[in-house]
Amino acid sequence: MAVRAQFENSNDIGVFTRLTNSYCLVAIGGSENFYSVFEGELGDVIPVIHASIAGTRIVGRLTVGNRKGLLVPNTTTDQELQHLRNSLPDSVQIQRIEERLSALGNVIACNDYVALVHPDIDRETQEIIRDVLGVEVFTQTIAGNVLVGSYCAINNQGGLVHPRTSVQDQDELSSLLQVPLVAGTINRGSDVIGAGIVVNDWCAFAGLDSTSTEISVVENIFKLHDAQPTAIVKEMRDSLVDTYS
Amino acid sequence: MRLEKCYFCSSTIYPGHGTMFVRNDSKIFRFCRSKCHAAFKHKRNPRKVRWTKAFRKAAGKEMTIDSTFEFEKRRNVPVRYDRDLMDTTIKAMKRISEIKAKRERVFYKDRMSGNKEREKAENIREIQKNIELVGSSTKIKAQVAKITEKSQQNADMEIS
Repeated sequence: MAVRAQFENSNDIGVFTRLTNSYCLVAIGGSENFYSVFEGELGDVIPVIHASIAGTRIVGRLTVGNRKGLLVPNTTTDQELQHLRNSLPDSVQIQRIEERLSALGNVIACNDYVALVHPDIDRETQEIIRDVLGVEVFTQTIAGNVLVGSYCAINNQGGLVHPRTSVQDQDELSSLLQVPLVAGTINRGSDVIGAGIVVNDWCAFAGLDSTSTEISVVENIFKLHDAQPTAIVKEMRDSLVDTYS
Repeated sequence: MRLEKCYFCSSTIYPGHGTMFVRNDSKIFRFCRSKCHAAFKHKRNPRKVRWTKAFRKAAGKEMTIDSTFEFEKRRNVPVRYDRDLMDTTIKAMKRISEIKAKRERVFYKDRMSGNKEREKAENIREIQKNIELVGSSTKIKAQVAKITEKSQQNADMEIS
């Protein structure tokens, strides 16, 4: 299911949230309404953790993680790190990494098997990503943007990338990721996909401004419903894919 | 709250003290007081300034290799809170600081050992070298001769 949500009048919920298959981090101090959206959808399956990173609420942009692990930047305080360790399940590894590019959510995009990273990221950091998240690491750009984490959203079934990604780039990326990709927008035409949407394998949360077309594209590419897509939705998606590719 | 270490002198910086400088490659430098910040701005190398911890370690004046240093470190992988573990850790901290103090004492003793003899030998050599300055006082001359003889004997004994 794809659900719409808003964080304090901002549609960029991906900035304030990090969603994976085994946990969900949300920024502290938001409205109960926002938390309820997540807890209603995920509450009895995975923990929804209220966290801060380096005293800020932009947890979605500063952290990166998947089912197996969570990476936090070196600005994370000891208390925050301890809080995360105490609230996350034991199967999730946590590590703080010493990386110059400290907005890890912007420079790394990953699912449970593959990670795309910013070209300037340290070799050592890449190694840590490989070990902690248990993924294969590829240095990539998306539509000429080095901030791969901001301009795409991926899960284990599919991915949504920047609307101006060329077909060749999409083919290359989807062969690296081994999942189908589609170029598209979120939040009524916003191209920062990573900020507008958070996904895991069974649900997605998009900004409140997202149109129903965008939501249906999201549900289709991330395979969020069991039933086959209806003919009209399929047609609509095909035309959208055509338009944006 | 974390107790940071000063970049220049390695002393502990308590919350609310000192200044922090962030270089544009995002490296963080913390200073415990303006003295250290000023020294940094003068591009002084902390290893060459005699009052810093870095100098003392580089010059072999303090312990550098010791297992007790392994405990006080910034760790990137957290451990889940466990009351018993915390309890034993706090107990261990006291014991570790005791052990560290003891090792430091031993290190100091080792470093200072042999200093007295070396100083004495140095003094004797100086007297022998400059014996003509003593003048005609026979009493002093006799004393010097005695010491010289003694030291000679010792040297002979060492050789034989």
